[in-house]
Amino acid sequence: MVVEKPWCLRADYAGGMLLAIDTSAGTSVAVVDLEGGVLSELTTVDTMRHAEVIGGMVRDALAQASVTPARLSGVVAGMGPGPFTGLRVGIAAAKAFALGAGKPLVPIVSHDAVALERYSAGHTGPLLVVTDARRRELYWSAYGGVDVLGIPLRSGGPGLAKPAEVPHADLPRYDAASVSAGQLGLLAEWLYAHRRPFAEDRPLYLRSPDVTPSTGPKRVTA
Amino acid sequence: MTADAASASAPVPPPVLRRATMADLDAIMSLETSTFVTDAWSPAMMRSELRSEHSYYLVAERAGSGEPGVVGYAGLRAVNGSTDADIQTIAVAPAVRRAGLGRSLMLALIDEAERRDAREVFLEVRADNPGAQRLYASLGFEQLAVRPHYYQPDDVDALVMRLTLPMQDALRSAHTNSRAEPLVLGIETSCDETGIGIVRGTRLLANVIASSMDEHARYGGVVPEVAARAHLEALEPTITEAVARAGIRLEELDAIAVTCGPGLAGALMVGVGAAKALAVALDKPLYGVNHLVGHVGADLLDADGGQGREIELPTIALLVSGGHTSLLHVRSLTDDVELLGETIDDAAGEAFDKVARVLGLPYPGGPQIDRVAATGDPNAIRFPRGLTLPKDMAKHRYDFSFSGLKTAVARWVEKREDAGEPVPVADVAASFREAVVDVLLRKAIAACVDREVPRLLLGGGVVANARVRQLAKERTDAAGIALRIPALSLCTDNGAMIAALAAQRIAAGHAPSGLDFGADSTLPVTDIQV
Repeated sequence: MVVEKPWCLRADYAGGMLLAIDTSAGTSVAVVDLEGGVLSELTTVDTMRHAEVIGGMVRDALAQASVTPARLSGVVAGMGPGPFTGLRVGIAAAKAFALGAGKPLVPIVSHDAVALERYSAGHTGPLLVVTDARRRELYWSAYGGVDVLGIPLRSGGPGLAKPAEVPHADLPRYDAASVSAGQLGLLAEWLYAHRRPFAEDRPLYLRSPDVTPSTGPKRVTA
Repeated sequence: MTADAASASAPVPPPVLRRATMADLDAIMSLETSTFVTDAWSPAMMRSELRSEHSYYLVAERAGSGEPGVVGYAGLRAVNGSTDADIQTIAVAPAVRRAGLGRSLMLALIDEAERRDAREVFLEVRADNPGAQRLYASLGFEQLAVRPHYYQPDDVDALVMRLTLPMQDALRSAHTNSRAEPLVLGIETSCDETGIGIVRGTRLLANVIASSMDEHARYGGVVPEVAARAHLEALEPTITEAVARAGIRLEELDAIAVTCGPGLAGALMVGVGAAKALAVALDKPLYGVNHLVGHVGADLLDADGGQGREIELPTIALLVSGGHTSLLHVRSLTDDVELLGETIDDAAGEAFDKVARVLGLPYPGGPQIDRVAATGDPNAIRFPRGLTLPKDMAKHRYDFSFSGLKTAVARWVEKREDAGEPVPVADVAASFREAVVDVLLRKAIAACVDREVPRLLLGGGVVANARVRQLAKERTDAAGIALRIPALSLCTDNGAMIAALAAQRIAAGHAPSGLDFGADSTLPVTDIQV
């Protein structure tokens, strides 16, 4: 499949360095390069402090890679699935950074980065990636394997299910506690290099806001 | 010469610069000997400098309250008819460093050199003082040469630097504006409005608001998750629009400001996450500020983009919205705000929403109640005034309670309905509104009287209510209290007030917030900046 210019190639494009941010589980920030691989990566599994750590981690990931915002080609956002409050912090940060640096946003499904990491580590064949959705539910995505380039082929999901009802129960399952921004960024590099599409610019909450429309006022007198 | 820029910052009122006189000699010498411990000038040398017609010496004096005195000085030597001028010396007291005073002194001397028709300004700086070198380089000075072993007895080299006049306009305006009138972008996401504002000092350049109010209407109130999702969607287009309206580029900003509380946690986090990333991407300082104090700061701005004005202080501030009902005593916008009282249950705006539902009126309730109350009798029904009985006033003199009032209205309406009688909606709405507004202003006026503060400032979305404004006018007039109500577009939640507050913090010499703060849904008003 050929996708025409999924993001605008810039005159200053020099090897396509990317900043990648994922807060679908803990917080992970990385700077990656197609040739150089993961230049820097910082990850914390703390799921309660996304807003606190995000700024310092972006600053430090850039500093460790000795990269200024101007040298980046884009900003990768892990779009989830993930619990919404934390997920939003990373996407908001990625969008604001992209705006500030004048670079395009590159949305990627977070589970795809987990799959890439498993396949890179030697897994072959089908795979079920599962992450915590809180409230006794799980997010899942199913993969059939990788294509000739090594890019994971998602065959189902991402979806949301109660633990007993997660589909594809027969597949080898991997429960991820964190999502690597380094893998997320590398996947974006590969997709771009091979003219594959990115994900939609839409957060994957997979859950409606917890609210029911008003049914009118309740009586206060018996 | 030295201008150490490496000590911690301290909040100070901006010092005032004036020409030095012989009477300043002792104060200057005291600073000189403490700053240049090993190579200070003698009093005789300093006296002859101050006396010389070729010299131009300035002192910086601490303004306002606090310990008065000279906190900095600087001197220029520009011989009449010569095209060269020399910065002779500059020193800033440790307590006021890092607040831009050295820069202000340098700019004033450069101005004088230009007035005396100098073409080049020279200075020497210690090789072991990179902070000072950075300051001079930022003003356009270039390194010319090194004078080995110039500073004795420390045996430190001097770098000779030169500035060619006239100074570049861009450099000058960047330096003169960035401190007193910083260009700040403010991000506000504490409730259901994504507000992006841009100010230069107290001048409003853009105030763009994307509201998710319509999405909350079918739920009868703000749903935090719905609000937070809407913020994420609105963020980027709202920033883009504000920047376009202000006619600036993001790179020109001096700082980013963001509401870090109080408010809905999930909603606040969208703004905080975005603000931090924007600050890193642009390499700008970030100021995390208090939403409620921001509402007070709104009064600095002119909604039509005029110059704005100072807020007369001290003032009592009554902030009333769907999320807050707070009474503040503001002695200094940047440094001294006291919470006198707040609601112990529902916010006033929430009570309007709930009573509107009881009366079968749509959300948001405020404008609806206002509309139907117009034809009603505010004295038709005597609804309770929360926390105004003597026993309550002892413990909750400046606190509010609207939960009991809401229940009283519902009970009254149900009794009518149960009896099969028609509900006089206009009278109920007018009487309810009167009860709310009466309590709000009774307590606000009491605070003004008790604290002997003859000023009342209103803020928050409920100020849109016509009766609030009307009764506020009547009662403040009767009590001889000056009333301030910012334009409505600045009373509701907005990013401009956040930017304006941060601009004041910057002008007062406060350091940025760093990148490690979080969203604090219950941030107290005493924390003006985190």
